[in-house]
Amino acid sequence: MKKKLAAVALFAASALALGACAGTPATTTPAPQPTDTAPTTEAPAKTPQDITFWLIGGDTPQALRDYLVEQYKTVNGGTLTIEEQTWGDIIAKLTTSLPDAANTPDVTEIGNTQAPTFTNVGAFADISDMYEELGGAKLLQSFVDVGAVDGKNYTLPYYFGSRYAFYRKDVWKEAGVEVPKTLDEFNAAVKTITEKNPRDIKDFSGFFIGGQDWRNGISWIFANGGDLAKYENGQWTSTLSDPNTIKGLTQLQEIQKSASMAPSTARDASPWLYINDSDVAAATDDQAEEKTTLSAATIMAPGWAHWSIGDLVKNDEGKEVRQWNDDTFGVFALPGNDGKPAPVFAGGSNIGISAASQNQEGSRDLLRIIFSSEYQTMLGENGLGPANSDYVSALGDDQFAQALIESASNSKLTPAAPGWAAVEGSLKLEEFFAKVAEGGDIAALAAQYDAEITPMLNMK
Amino acid sequence: MTVTQTLSAENQAARAAAARARKLGRLAPYALIIPSIAILLFSLGYPLVWQFITSTQKFGLAQQFGRPPEFIGLGNYATVFTNPETWAIVLRSIAFMLVNAALTVVIGVLLALLMTAIGKAARLILQVALLIAWAMPVVATMTIWTWLFDWRRGIINWLLTAVGLDFTNHNWLAEPLSFYFVATVIVVWMSVPFVTFSVYAGLTQVSDEVLEAAQLDGADGYRRFHYIILPLIRPVLMIVLLLQLIWDLRVFTQIRMLQDAGAPPSSTDLLGTYIYRLGVASSDFGMASALSIFVLLLTVAMSAFYVVQLLKEDS
Repeated sequence: MKKKLAAVALFAASALALGACAGTPATTTPAPQPTDTAPTTEAPAKTPQDITFWLIGGDTPQALRDYLVEQYKTVNGGTLTIEEQTWGDIIAKLTTSLPDAANTPDVTEIGNTQAPTFTNVGAFADISDMYEELGGAKLLQSFVDVGAVDGKNYTLPYYFGSRYAFYRKDVWKEAGVEVPKTLDEFNAAVKTITEKNPRDIKDFSGFFIGGQDWRNGISWIFANGGDLAKYENGQWTSTLSDPNTIKGLTQLQEIQKSASMAPSTARDASPWLYINDSDVAAATDDQAEEKTTLSAATIMAPGWAHWSIGDLVKNDEGKEVRQWNDDTFGVFALPGNDGKPAPVFAGGSNIGISAASQNQEGSRDLLRIIFSSEYQTMLGENGLGPANSDYVSALGDDQFAQALIESASNSKLTPAAPGWAAVEGSLKLEEFFAKVAEGGDIAALAAQYDAEITPMLNMK
Repeated sequence: MTVTQTLSAENQAARAAAARARKLGRLAPYALIIPSIAILLFSLGYPLVWQFITSTQKFGLAQQFGRPPEFIGLGNYATVFTNPETWAIVLRSIAFMLVNAALTVVIGVLLALLMTAIGKAARLILQVALLIAWAMPVVATMTIWTWLFDWRRGIINWLLTAVGLDFTNHNWLAEPLSFYFVATVIVVWMSVPFVTFSVYAGLTQVSDEVLEAAQLDGADGYRRFHYIILPLIRPVLMIVLLLQLIWDLRVFTQIRMLQDAGAPPSSTDLLGTYIYRLGVASSDFGMASALSIFVLLLTVAMSAFYVVQLLKEDS
């Protein structure tokens, strides 16, 4: 009897344990709910609504968040809660939360490349009627396009950014190279710096680009006339095997081999760590530390990275901050070979109202605040490209604004395929670029990943 | 006469009551487990049924947002199991599970034996240390482990370089084998305390007299462990081993967070992360459900073996 009970208990215990196993995938994906919560236009005019707004990553400065909360209180009377999400798992989060009226954020930021996928499946509320009021034709057109289906607007641009090169003026000078005018010159320059390694640093990179960093790496594909995918006869096809794409990847592989010592596992997170000098504290405690901390002469990063680059100083509150130093650091837009800047990945995001949100009116109030001239100006003043072209001048005319505007002038979006978010979520591109960086056979790899990515692009 | 009659009547009544009690006694255990089984069925029934239904459908992001799914029978299963990647991952997961569960149980038992052998103060320190390791939230622990193994600033590389091996900027996560080595270190580190505590509790039930008698008869430490302690704590060992096997088969957080730190997903995926990548990240819930059902069957098969073993011992 005792043994039998033990057997039953064991069975129960294992059932519990494997239940947790079976439960996880299912419970994270609640049963689909009909999205019949369309805007309740006849709602009582001004009932204060408490809404939730998802921002992704730390790009939006605190002052702007405070402004939104205060303004929302004034305009709507309700409370605005801003929740910060991370880029890494945002697709999973949106997939599980947006369809669920009880858990959906009312308004959410969404990566511009992810917008088509979610817009196509009806995750966002139709805001075409507000389009003119929020800026109309003055809103950044390529971003408006990825957020529209059949001429109706679902998501609109939140801000744009763009990537450009940050470099060590001092190290470039020591290596005797000039700021490049063409992509070929850039490729040669970073190789020369790596070979000369003027400060004799171990594993020194003339240009630090992570093996999995496809978001910066695609600039070489774009600059050579290649692309990631094309749309033909109603079908998306992955075009990694296109001769122009291969040409760009070959240049990139050469850089990975002879100019970048970044590991093949590195993505595009915080590359500025490598071009800053060591922390002040570490340098005084231990002189040897200083030499190894600087390990790259050039990086590519979104414009707001300049807040993280510079000398380490104490600010008025005694906190350690980075202070840009024009003698040491410089910026330039990655040049192309045709006299224009190389096309870089157009960073930035869109913003939309969840179709399942119960607070459509409050959400619309928030959009009005975000697209107001005050907020658009604040975005520009903080180095984030404003959605409305009238306020781009708010970016100022310092070197960062110039590099941002110049590189953005020729920037390009990833394919607006319905399954693009799935491609990003599967990390196939990270893998492909890492294998290229490790020196793999580009043509064979391209054929293999084309075969894997094409069906995902067309997935609905 | 009447007295005897009354007595015998009382006797009969008592006998009847005793019989009822025996009958109740036989039923009571079953009655007592009904609530837990009911809770299990209730809380697991819905997700399980949902998962099974989804596994027979073409269910992607559009369906998640309300479009009616299309029934495709065993189509998802066919796709999943004709993909060689699936089988590679299944084999990898089973190998990972066996190695990790075995290491965890062996180290756990050794630590438990150590705890019986050392003084009170040392034992207390060890217990507290194990408890802290066990109670630490996985995400916090994982953050620290990825820092330890960081390619550029990790202390592991620094230490190895300091003792004379050149591990400067060595990347632990790039190669699948060294990736699994790191993952194994972390998973074993996290699960050893549970095994140690359970086995230690079992060891305290082994009576000193028996061991002393064996010692007088000339049994050395190894024999005492093999012939006396091991059979006595066998039930405990069986259960912790089974739990470890199940936990290590469905390991997710550790692998996922190491992948977030840069490890290439397709060569380091185990079943848990593969299901996640198929389902949540690539929005193919039908395929992910099909694979989950397979993992469920695998787990049931594994525990069924143990249940059969236990029942055999009973008869």
